[in-house]
Amino acid sequence: MSVNITADATPARRSWVFYLTNYGIVWLTLALFLLLAVTTPNFVSPDNFRNILDQQAIVLIVAVFVTMLLISGNFDISVGAIYTLVPLVALRIFDASDSLILFVLVGLIGGFVAGLFNGAIVTKGRINSFVATLATALVFFGLAYMVTGGTILRLSDLDVRALVTTRILGITSATWIALIVVVIAWVMLERTRFGRYVFAIGGNREAARLAGVPVDRVILFVFILVGMSAGLAGTMNTARTLTAQASDDFSLVFTVIAAVVVGGTSIMGGFGAIWRTVIGVFFIAMLGNGFNLNGIDPVVQRIIQGLVILAAVGLDAWTRSRRSP
Amino acid sequence: MKDEPAVEFRSISKSFGATVALADVSLTIERGNVHALVGENGAGKSTLGKILAGIIPPDSGELMLAGRAESFGSPRQALSAGVTMIAQELSLVPGRSVIENVFLGIEPHIGPFVRRREIRQRFDELVARSGIEVPAHAAVGELRIGEQQKVEILRALARDARIIVMDEPTARLSLSETQTLLETIRQLSAAGTTIIFVSHFLEEVLEVADHVTIMRDARVIRTGPAAGETRDSLIEGMTGRPLDAMFPPRATVSGDAADVLRVQGLEREGAFTDISLTVRAGEIVVLSGLVGSGRSEVMQAIYGGTPADRGSLTLAGETYRPKNVRAALRRGIAMIPESRKDLGLILQRSVADNITLPYLKETERAGLISRRKEDALASERMSRVGVKAQSPEVEVVTLSGGNQQKVLFARSLVRTPVLLLADEPTRGVDVGAKRSIYDLITDLAREGMGVLVVSSEIEEVMGLAHRILVMHQGRIVAEFDGHTAEEEAVIAAAFGPVGATT
Repeated sequence: MSVNITADATPARRSWVFYLTNYGIVWLTLALFLLLAVTTPNFVSPDNFRNILDQQAIVLIVAVFVTMLLISGNFDISVGAIYTLVPLVALRIFDASDSLILFVLVGLIGGFVAGLFNGAIVTKGRINSFVATLATALVFFGLAYMVTGGTILRLSDLDVRALVTTRILGITSATWIALIVVVIAWVMLERTRFGRYVFAIGGNREAARLAGVPVDRVILFVFILVGMSAGLAGTMNTARTLTAQASDDFSLVFTVIAAVVVGGTSIMGGFGAIWRTVIGVFFIAMLGNGFNLNGIDPVVQRIIQGLVILAAVGLDAWTRSRRSP
Repeated sequence: MKDEPAVEFRSISKSFGATVALADVSLTIERGNVHALVGENGAGKSTLGKILAGIIPPDSGELMLAGRAESFGSPRQALSAGVTMIAQELSLVPGRSVIENVFLGIEPHIGPFVRRREIRQRFDELVARSGIEVPAHAAVGELRIGEQQKVEILRALARDARIIVMDEPTARLSLSETQTLLETIRQLSAAGTTIIFVSHFLEEVLEVADHVTIMRDARVIRTGPAAGETRDSLIEGMTGRPLDAMFPPRATVSGDAADVLRVQGLEREGAFTDISLTVRAGEIVVLSGLVGSGRSEVMQAIYGGTPADRGSLTLAGETYRPKNVRAALRRGIAMIPESRKDLGLILQRSVADNITLPYLKETERAGLISRRKEDALASERMSRVGVKAQSPEVEVVTLSGGNQQKVLFARSLVRTPVLLLADEPTRGVDVGAKRSIYDLITDLAREGMGVLVVSSEIEEVMGLAHRILVMHQGRIVAEFDGHTAEEEAVIAAAFGPVGATT
């Protein structure tokens, strides 16, 4: 815990309330970690940690760029659809070419195209991003059915699995990819002009425009990054399971947004951080992991997860109201 | 009963953390009076209003209403005792009609059904009693701010408010809207409503108030009849120092100074027509006129914020096409926009972030932003314009209005511009900060920058300008020399074309 120093001598007077509320998710995650470590026998073990990391790689990759998008004041409902559609195309191409490089490349390019499509509609069409991407999600899902003709596609070449399951220094290549993506996203958001523009647009779009921020170009680029991350994540998932099929599964969007919001990034835009999302992802993952290890009914798990998200968002709203008296 | 004062504050104190907002304040407000509270930002006048309206509780002291001790736990309790506050930010439902907004939450009803006829009747009574006329069925969002404020007042009256606190009610109004509001305030007071009028605009205070209380540093300096005060005496009381000139002496523009900006036949449909003007190096040109006369639009066209349809511009002797803001920044134009909260600052970001935002290239090292370089750059500009902040890393929202405005000046000086555009540079800023902003503008001009200012405050126009251009309905209708212009003539020109220029 931080010490409560209220003396006027401290240059930036930040009370314990600030540390408690601003870093609330950090304390909660630590508390959960300690709780599970004490109560759940198999929780603290290298295998379990490796598993959690490996399972969360895909969510992390998408979540860090969705964080950027939320900070810019936009939304993308279609990430789940891109995640479904793009690997189908990649798989078809792989079947025809037998080229691993093409498989990965199509995963990225397909995501790029989908993101460009979303971004263009939002910026040029002046359509609210929530509505626009809800519509494009339906389009992408429909395209997915067209690609498969309703069947499950299978990969015959087992080498593809190695893309995500190879162990390097004890952890899987999927985890490494996620780690690299997180670092890239973090540097982009915190240390580049682009990142500053993202915060500025989400904080006050008109003021950003008058300060010379190329608003539309920045938003378009964030959508492209989100699309590419969803394409990459979908391709990684297919590489792992060696199958892909069309579906109307929106669940990835909800998992990702839950993690971002629990971490403390504001859905109103202008505030958030990559580290928050990383913690949010692991908070939810540890919660699920703890439930599983303790054999708790999945139905109950869902309800508790929902309540936890509500509590996190409530805390966010509460601290915001305190910050501006 | 008649002789009991409407409100009596007895030794009220209030602190926020280490900041003392009110220190042992005692004050009596007579029934049916318009009682003005004046003071610099942070003097405690808004806090006093909020305590009266039940928005915040005092730490100690007593609040008496018509001789009875009251302690309000919420605005709702205050309202049931007949006190309400109309804040700077209006709290109406824009999509609904005036009448619905006025009776929101207190609709007469039978079961779930609203009694429309009775509401209408009560609305008409309210209008007749208060003399405030607003179209009953217009959507509030389509009304002008001044009209919306009337809706707020009607809403207060519909709830039987006998005491209304108005916090800076005219800050966002045009001249004519302000006049209407002041007239409304007089009518309300004549009808027995007590008004607490918090304002920065001293002319309005002197015009409308019966009594004035001057506050400084959380204390009451003095209370007295408004008739006994002048603008100068109020400023002296507020600042606590004798009033020098409000304005620094004008620097002379040398006769052979080059034109920094030349505008020819600038036009944008529905906004302004046939605008031609020049700004010379070292010259302060002020665009005057009523709100809505097209001044800000002309400035935005020069800055590329909203480009003009036609017209030609030259900047420092070369053709200049302001097709967007980036083009303007590249050519060395900087702008302080009209409303710092809406158009200027990213409030929840740091001071340094806000200063460097348009010029992030200057903070980069090997393609990445260097915090150290950024802080150094921001600190240097902050000290140059006198921004008071604990560090460049504090959120800009925590600064006072004057300091926020100076952050925008610091931003505009990251690269020394050839032309500075400043739209209402001292709006909502206290007297002390105003003077330092005037000093800054004058110094920049002396160093050879061309400065184009839009201002609604006539003293500012008269005190700052080398040259005054007056706009009316999208056209420049008069031009005056800043040294010799008569205040009345400038005002008259703003209200209509006078044809002749001096």
